[in-house]
Amino acid sequence: MELIGKRIIELLIFLVILSFLSFVLMKLAPGDPVKQMLRVDDVAVSEEQMNNLRTELGFNEPVYIQYVKWLKRFFQFDLGSSYMTKEPVIDELVEKFPSTLRLTVASLVVMLLIAVPLGTLSALYPNKWIDYLSRSISLIGASIPSFWLGLLFIQLFSVRLQWLPSMGTGTAAHLVLPSLTLGFAMSAVYMRMIRASLLEGLKQDFVRSARARGISESRIFIFHAFRYSLTPILTILGTSLGSLLGGTVIIEVLFAYPGIGKLVIDAIMNRDYPVIQGYILWMGLFVVLINSLVDLSYKYVNPQLYVKGGDKT
Amino acid sequence: MRKKISLLSLTLVTIGMLAACSGNSASTEEKSEKKSLAFVSNFPSDTLDPQLNYTTVRAGIAETLVKVNEQLQIEPWLSKKWKTEDGGTTWVFEIREGIGFQNGKALNAEAVKHSLERTIKESEAMKSALKIKEMKANGQILTITTKEPLATLPSELVHPNTAIIDVDAPDIKNKPVGTGPFKVASFKPDTAIKVKKYKEYWGGEPKLDEVMLTFNDDENARTSALQSGEADIVYRPAIESLNTLKQDSSIVVDIQPSLRNQMLFYNSRKEAFKDKNVRKAFDVLLNPKDVVDTALAGQGSAAKGPFLESLDFSNDQKTKTYGTSEAQKYLEKAGYTLKDGKTIKNGKQLSFKLVTYPYRPELPLMSQMLQSEAKKIGVKIDIQQVENMDEYMTTKDDWGMVTYSLVTAPRGDAGYFFNALYMEGGAFNVGHFHEPALTSIIAELNKTVDQKQRNKLARQAGEIVEKETLHSSIVHPNNFVAYRDNVKNWVTTKSEYYVITKDLDVK
Repeated sequence: MELIGKRIIELLIFLVILSFLSFVLMKLAPGDPVKQMLRVDDVAVSEEQMNNLRTELGFNEPVYIQYVKWLKRFFQFDLGSSYMTKEPVIDELVEKFPSTLRLTVASLVVMLLIAVPLGTLSALYPNKWIDYLSRSISLIGASIPSFWLGLLFIQLFSVRLQWLPSMGTGTAAHLVLPSLTLGFAMSAVYMRMIRASLLEGLKQDFVRSARARGISESRIFIFHAFRYSLTPILTILGTSLGSLLGGTVIIEVLFAYPGIGKLVIDAIMNRDYPVIQGYILWMGLFVVLINSLVDLSYKYVNPQLYVKGGDKT
Repeated sequence: MRKKISLLSLTLVTIGMLAACSGNSASTEEKSEKKSLAFVSNFPSDTLDPQLNYTTVRAGIAETLVKVNEQLQIEPWLSKKWKTEDGGTTWVFEIREGIGFQNGKALNAEAVKHSLERTIKESEAMKSALKIKEMKANGQILTITTKEPLATLPSELVHPNTAIIDVDAPDIKNKPVGTGPFKVASFKPDTAIKVKKYKEYWGGEPKLDEVMLTFNDDENARTSALQSGEADIVYRPAIESLNTLKQDSSIVVDIQPSLRNQMLFYNSRKEAFKDKNVRKAFDVLLNPKDVVDTALAGQGSAAKGPFLESLDFSNDQKTKTYGTSEAQKYLEKAGYTLKDGKTIKNGKQLSFKLVTYPYRPELPLMSQMLQSEAKKIGVKIDIQQVENMDEYMTTKDDWGMVTYSLVTAPRGDAGYFFNALYMEGGAFNVGHFHEPALTSIIAELNKTVDQKQRNKLARQAGEIVEKETLHSSIVHPNNFVAYRDNVKNWVTTKSEYYVITKDLDVK
């Protein structure tokens, strides 16, 4: 209980620092939402009109005053409204998040389906044909830019075979190509990681001891070597999860998939500060939560890392 | 070994199963029952609120009081006629009778008033453009009083953000109720909108039962959607795919000149560009035909002025002679001499920074072409590419020239262009040019209601801009749309405001 309380306080402090830094950096960065709001590229407005709107929105006030006002609203659970759509930021984030979450889960499933069997077989049979195959796939996956891979999948599955829709959402079929693209690209890294960790695990003293004790090879593999190799995999999985939940912009644009990544890119293009700021906090919150979960999972996956007294070896 | 094979098989089978659960079959079935059409565009839409987005008008859901035709002349739409008797401060619009909103409510001046009130409340841009002081509704007559004489009010009311909707209808963001031939069936922000026919449409029953409009920013993905049969019409397919698409007998490629102009802006705060001969030198240095052939892959036309030549307010442009020797003549007039491969004045080589941006890929290419031509006559150009061009142009003054792309007459009127670029304090007067003769013509233009007189003034203003070379108009890029040959009555409009119409059909 004490630990949870401590973590919540840490999280709050982190969010306030994050919000301050992001707010200041955003204000220092070039860009003017007023021009977008007044659509100067199709409505004739004057500098005077732009200045009036800047004053109205408080942009002419010092940055610290703007931040204090924003912080006040934040503590009232109000992230403000988008300059472009006039919708509350929180509604925009909540609306887009389920799509991103679905894509994240589907991509991770694809990644696991490719990386776990191939990485494992590669480690079990080093320098055999399956290892070469796995390494080749991994090399290809790491070398191909994901947008190009996406276009290849569209050409094959949508244009030539006409099996799958190339864009949009709605059915499970719409999720296949984007998740296949993301999952394949990610699996390249994971395949290598699983192979390397398993090989290292199989060389450990405790594996030798287990063999000496006459424990079966499959048991040694699953309960000793695989468990050992899970720690680094979980660590990068946490990072991947964070970046996937943050939105994978190129894939979302390519497949016209309405996720959170596209939302924030549009917000950045339009200098829609409330949306950008809301997104940073939202993602900051998720990254911290995921990292905490990964941290906690070590306790179960590899208890050696959680020896009382903080001796983390 | 068996284990290995089964693991691999499991992976492949799972991917195969995911692939097999395609959603295409359902939509094909639906297509055969109803007359439907799938349209994929790059027009993003995070809301259907017409006051904030153009999609409602593009999708045929809502309409404006005034519309712009293919000759870019304004014509009546929801408003039958209009007049002003005091030089543009008071405008009387007569709203067409017998029009109903898609929920059955009648369209009268009161409903239009409420809709326009919402427009100026929700859209800062429209509030600035319309300058409405007061509105009075009486039956079908709407009287608008503006804060100052506004000769362009009917033209401003062409803007899709002034579309008339029933403001009392719930959920305007997702399901606005307009007077157009199609009503909203479903909407997924930033993804797709499905519209179905509104049988009682005042202009006659629409031919299509439903239209699915999908948004996709990626031009290659849009092209693939057409090739795969997912789309019947795609807006702006990938430029490099046009030849492939043209070779496909089941696809029609429609190419139209756009209202956009790729231009060079000069910075009058830079000493060299204060001299009009220097500006003239760069005006003739780059042959627009070469830009069309190279940077636009043939998809455009040479610009002789800011507006398309076919427009009534486009001033007569003389055919220019382009090339390095012509440019050199102007530089000599400005006091420069070519010595040891350098164009020099007062011992200093003519050199400056040219700023461009990648959003329109032809602009950096155009910049490189200019740089290369300038090098031949001893002028040094440093190219800088920036992400936010508008910001750079207005906040920095270290640039001598920028390449820019602008829709010069978005609603069929020259007022926007001259006010934005050459009026004192205009949001696009980035070159800081102040020509008193030009300013007074623009001021006169802003007060003039009569269209013929407006065109005359716009031509005069254009002549001053041309004579002084305050900017250089280089090319008009084309708009292109590709569609399957079963599509009937498709029109690629210059304004890009009207896309889904009651006449659009499929065989």
